[in-house]
Amino acid sequence: MPPTMAQISDPKIAFAYLRPACVLLTREPTVTNVDTLSSQLKEVNDATLQQLQDYVLFPLRFVLKVPGPKKDKLVQAVAEAISYVLENTCVQSWETLHDLLSELCLCLCSPTDLGKPADTSEELQSAVLRCLTALLHAAYGDIVFKLFEPIMLPGLGATVSLLLALAEKTKSRDIQVSALKCLQALTLQCDCDQDHVVPTSEERCLVGSIVASFLPGITVTVARIITGDLRQGHGVTVRAIKVWSRTVGLVLDDAQLQDAESNKTPSTELGRIGQLVVHRTKDWVKNTAVKLCVLLKKIIACTSAHQHWRVRLEMVELDDHLLDRCSQSLKQCVGPLLEALVGAVNDEEPRVRERCEVTLRAVSQRNQSCSSRGDKSSTAQTFTDVLSENLHSLATSLPRLMRTSDDQKKLFVLNVFLGYIKLLGPLVSVVLNSAAHLERISKALMQVLDLDVMDVRIVEERSYAATIETTPGSADSCFARTQRKHFLYFTDEKIFSVLMEICRTLGYYGNLYLLTDHFLDLYQQSSSYRKQAAMVLNEIVRGAAAIDVVTEGQSLTGQVRGHSVNQEDLTAAVASVMEEYISLKNWHLITVSEETERDRQDQQLLSPSRLLSISNSDFSNSDSNCLQVISSKINSPCTSTSTSTIHQLNSNIWQLCIQLEGIACFAQTLGRDFRPLLMTSLYPVLEKAGEETLLVSQAALGSMWDLSRACGYSSLKELINENSDYLLNDISLNLQRLSQHPQAPRVLTVMLTHSDCSLLPLVGDIVQDVLMALDLSYDHTAALFCSVLHALMKALARWFPSSCGRTTESAQSKKSSGHEEVFDIRQFILDYSKQKELAEGIGIEEDASVEDLEAPAPTECEEDAEDIYGPDVKPELPPHLSITKDVMERCIHLLSDPSLRVRLKVLDVLELCVCVLSEKENELLPMAHRCWPPLLQRLTADDPLAVLRAFRVLCTLGDTCGDFLRRRVSKEVLPKLSSSLTRQAPISAKAGPVYTHTLAYKLQLAVLQGLGSLCQRLDLGEADLDAVREACLPYLSSRQPIRVQEASVSVFRHLIQVDPDALWFTLNELHCPTSYVPPHPDLQPVQLSGMGRPRDEYSDNVLKLLQEEFGSVAEAVDQPGLANEPVIDVTD
Amino acid sequence: MSRPAPTPIYTLRGAGGPLNTLHFSCHGGDTPLLYSASGKGAIHIWNLNTRRAERIVEGHSGNSIIWVSTLQAAHTLISQGRDMQVCLWDLSEGRSEVVDSVWTGSVGFCQCSVLETSPGNQLLAFAGQQTEEIKIIELPSKTPVCTLVPDAKVGMVMCIKLWQPDSGPGPLLLAGYEDGSLLLWDVTQRSELSRAKAHPEPVMCLTFDPERLRGISGSSEKTLSSWILDRQNNLQLQDDVTLVNAGVSQLCIRGDGKLLASAGWDHRVRVFGWKKLKPLAVLQYHTDMMLSVAFSDHQDPRQRLLAAGSKDQRVSLWSIYNEGADTG
Repeated sequence: MPPTMAQISDPKIAFAYLRPACVLLTREPTVTNVDTLSSQLKEVNDATLQQLQDYVLFPLRFVLKVPGPKKDKLVQAVAEAISYVLENTCVQSWETLHDLLSELCLCLCSPTDLGKPADTSEELQSAVLRCLTALLHAAYGDIVFKLFEPIMLPGLGATVSLLLALAEKTKSRDIQVSALKCLQALTLQCDCDQDHVVPTSEERCLVGSIVASFLPGITVTVARIITGDLRQGHGVTVRAIKVWSRTVGLVLDDAQLQDAESNKTPSTELGRIGQLVVHRTKDWVKNTAVKLCVLLKKIIACTSAHQHWRVRLEMVELDDHLLDRCSQSLKQCVGPLLEALVGAVNDEEPRVRERCEVTLRAVSQRNQSCSSRGDKSSTAQTFTDVLSENLHSLATSLPRLMRTSDDQKKLFVLNVFLGYIKLLGPLVSVVLNSAAHLERISKALMQVLDLDVMDVRIVEERSYAATIETTPGSADSCFARTQRKHFLYFTDEKIFSVLMEICRTLGYYGNLYLLTDHFLDLYQQSSSYRKQAAMVLNEIVRGAAAIDVVTEGQSLTGQVRGHSVNQEDLTAAVASVMEEYISLKNWHLITVSEETERDRQDQQLLSPSRLLSISNSDFSNSDSNCLQVISSKINSPCTSTSTSTIHQLNSNIWQLCIQLEGIACFAQTLGRDFRPLLMTSLYPVLEKAGEETLLVSQAALGSMWDLSRACGYSSLKELINENSDYLLNDISLNLQRLSQHPQAPRVLTVMLTHSDCSLLPLVGDIVQDVLMALDLSYDHTAALFCSVLHALMKALARWFPSSCGRTTESAQSKKSSGHEEVFDIRQFILDYSKQKELAEGIGIEEDASVEDLEAPAPTECEEDAEDIYGPDVKPELPPHLSITKDVMERCIHLLSDPSLRVRLKVLDVLELCVCVLSEKENELLPMAHRCWPPLLQRLTADDPLAVLRAFRVLCTLGDTCGDFLRRRVSKEVLPKLSSSLTRQAPISAKAGPVYTHTLAYKLQLAVLQGLGSLCQRLDLGEADLDAVREACLPYLSSRQPIRVQEASVSVFRHLIQVDPDALWFTLNELHCPTSYVPPHPDLQPVQLSGMGRPRDEYSDNVLKLLQEEFGSVAEAVDQPGLANEPVIDVTD
Repeated sequence: MSRPAPTPIYTLRGAGGPLNTLHFSCHGGDTPLLYSASGKGAIHIWNLNTRRAERIVEGHSGNSIIWVSTLQAAHTLISQGRDMQVCLWDLSEGRSEVVDSVWTGSVGFCQCSVLETSPGNQLLAFAGQQTEEIKIIELPSKTPVCTLVPDAKVGMVMCIKLWQPDSGPGPLLLAGYEDGSLLLWDVTQRSELSRAKAHPEPVMCLTFDPERLRGISGSSEKTLSSWILDRQNNLQLQDDVTLVNAGVSQLCIRGDGKLLASAGWDHRVRVFGWKKLKPLAVLQYHTDMMLSVAFSDHQDPRQRLLAAGSKDQRVSLWSIYNEGADTG
């Protein structure tokens, strides 16, 4: 309808306008004619249309009335036209209403059965349903109630069953919804926005008594729809619930029933129809209520956990409506209704929650007013009594329900339980005072919270100092992975969160002392309850501090939390629980099986990736290497431990994790007031942070972060630094009782890892204790202390970064500059001739004098420096250096420890000592001197692994005191090594595949792997380099084991860095892939002994080296530097 | 079943010097405090709840402090240093200032003794300028009460103890001297009541139980010697206790009169039953000579700690023989 066109308001004009179309339609009932009429109808205004209603409706109804089959399209068009008319006018005559109703029903139903829908198109059905709804809305108040006279029962019944059939059987959701809407309109319960007839109570009674006849049909069918297909749209379910609740509410209205009893009218004149009339007697009500109760329970079960919140909201509406209207007649249903309502208190959808709270408040008010009136009926008991009764009975059945039901049911039951607790508020403590009920509740919690401890990975995963140390600053990485708990009896995460909320709410309202006592009892009672009890305790304490408790206005009793737990009580409770947690028997649990422990060590030592680490001689890379080892380790299968012990270990691990979480929780509840408790709790937490089991150490680290946040520290470092006195006190004490407290060194390790040099003064005190404890028990605890010393030195190296590694840098810069420099042939030849003259003895004195002048300069400087303090009095060493010296002293002894593991660790410690001490050469050199003999042993006569580490130490030493070392290495180390290499070369070349498993092979490999970097670091003289080169050359042979070849290639790579020319020559002597054509015919052709040689065993490696280190072989010809090499050869 | 050797429940670190003297103050205020004085002139006030130094007071211009105590109100601290001064401190409301000082003139190590005569009035006894002289003054007026000098040569005053007997009219004073003798003085009469030769070596320390009228003294040798006062105020020597190692720095009897603790030069604290002097425990933790012991005066018997200060700059706190308490 175009809005610009004015509607016809004059009835006469309208009549004239519409008449032709009406006449035409009567004569020729076609779709076109109907359309014409309906388009014309739209041009007539409502008042006029009302006057012409009968006239207009006549041709349309005539079309419907014409006997014989009609086209769906035509009926649909007619229905739409009628709908339009009815939507804009009122029906004033009973006949019209009655006839139209039956005519429209006839359009829908099948010709044979009035109660069944015909097989018509969905569009038609939808149009007719719309028309019906419009008709019912259009009916005047004075005629509509005629529908509900007993005489109308059969017709009405047919309509009702027709609508029900449509609502149930049709596929289309729209039709289902509109059929249900229509049904609602038919029972005068419509809730759309249009105006409705407001019935008086008598009229309501009339309607109610008639609808009572259809009640069984409607409730059963609609219940079927509600509980039917889960996939049906929520719209249908919502509508169906509405119909159900409205219908039941109408028929079993308490108010009506009271009246109905008084003026029961026996109707005799109805004849057979009279049998259809239902008299709502007491018995009838009772029977009906029983049946409805069954249906209601079904509906509740099906919808209370429905996925769509609108459905749940509608359920709350239903509860509200029925509790409001029919609490007397549906006494049996009050329980389930309340339960459903309570279950919705914790709905995740706030709109549902709000509605629910409003309802509950209304319910409680009604009941209160009820009871205040002094009714004698059972509802007179106050609402809270009902609730606590329900809570009691639920608590009784809780263990069984937890055992038997599925996840969804559990979730619902727990939600209801939580709802009761929230509603009862402070009254909960009354329920809890009953020992039997507390017992039940706790049993149920213990049962359902049983953890699944089957996962083997948890036991297997290991943390390493390296992993912890790489992340001291970043908090996020610590939280990146908190292990999810797996439970035996449920999988849904929601259940867990509801359970935790239950615990918190119990803690919030209940008596904290009673609860902690009870659950601590359980904790102590049996190891099988311990983990669950700890979980519950953690949450109870949190709840008591009102953390994560949502309670605003949910308590119905109108009281706020009667007692608020004061900080003192909370602290006392926390202290007692924590004391239990960290008591020896609950804290020092075995999490690592002895067997796997040993496996691990062996594996770690023999892990091939460890061997790689030497090739990265830059020690800052050692972390990443450690990580490699870890990753290779974790994947290794563990076969030896029996499953039962794994379960035990697993359970221990979880218990520790939960207790660690608990400590974090407690800190959170107490905030800064937790600080005094750090005295007792920080040490145990740190102890676990140093634990090898990954899960435990992660949990501990997590709690450390929580602790630091709760106590107002900005970082772990601050937490540890501020409380270092507490920690060190325990450490120092426990170091004296190592047999009982072997974890003390571990705590120190963690402390050092996370702290900074401000800790040094206090640590200095402790280090003396450590060293003393070590001195007292070398044999037992050396391994343990090595890790402490290692951590200590690592920390010192971090806190006082020295100039270690400067020579590496300078060497590298030298190397790079060498490459970039533009080669000047003239200068080269000049230099060369000068060198040659020198070699022949010309001008040697002159040069020597220069060297003499240069050499003493630095020593003089140092003497000066010493003079400042006077010759006798040595200045006091800075604490970190004196500690380092003390540690190094111990290393000297430990270097020859019988255990390989200890020796390896000591070598690491030694390396760090050298690094730290490097800033004070005066201190370092004597120590290095003292270390030398045992170190030499490691280098020349030890396990390959130790050899490798020793090489690394040697390299580091070479960085800082090269001169001191060079002579010793060239005198004592190199001859031995090179001779053994030379001796071994022919053997390994000929050996079979078994050879790679021999010690000789490993030793060979280790030496070759370390030798290169050593040579480079020490800046060895030419003679030594020659010796090394000679010794390694045989290993370039392709007959050697492949890894030996690789190692040897690596030696050559390092040597090339030191002296590229000589090496180039050596390699080319072995094998020269190209011939060098002199740029000028005057120059002699280049002759290298490797030229033109056929491919032999050395070719591959030589070619590889030449290519990698000197650029591509083909280009070599063009390089001026290399092109000049032959000059040397020529002059020879 | 033999119980594991007891360990200190806590160690207070950071005093930065040998701990010459300790004094508990657990009555006033809510936090129990422990005062310690170091050889480097610092008085640490340890909060026993947090176990941290609440305040550090520097005084006596860096000289060693040999004695601290508090006067009835915990806020008044009295300290004696090797700079021959006894200082009175006002510590209330975060202040730490010397309100008064007394020049003693003594170069020895004899610790003062203080006795409360009436609320707000105390008697202070200290070794005087002359080797054998003991001076007693009244606080806070600083009026000299008397000077006690023995007739015979007994050497330097080593330790003194002032107390008020239940029966007698005036306070009495016990003093140990360099030659090993003990003298009992009547302060009001300024007369020597009795004497006994308790040790062949100098008396290093003594303590006295006014209820049982029984005392004990230690010396640089291996024996502790106990003695009683009879009705006529005569000193009578009783049993000796022989120690394993020689030398005792300090002796202390617990407030309930059940325990006696000794600070030994052998790095150990020994605990005895006071009644029969039965050796009960050896507390081993420190790495240097013990200089001081003190028992807490806490109202709750379970929180009555024993504190021991050592030359190794640490104070160890022990919870021993206080029924029901955690022995740590």
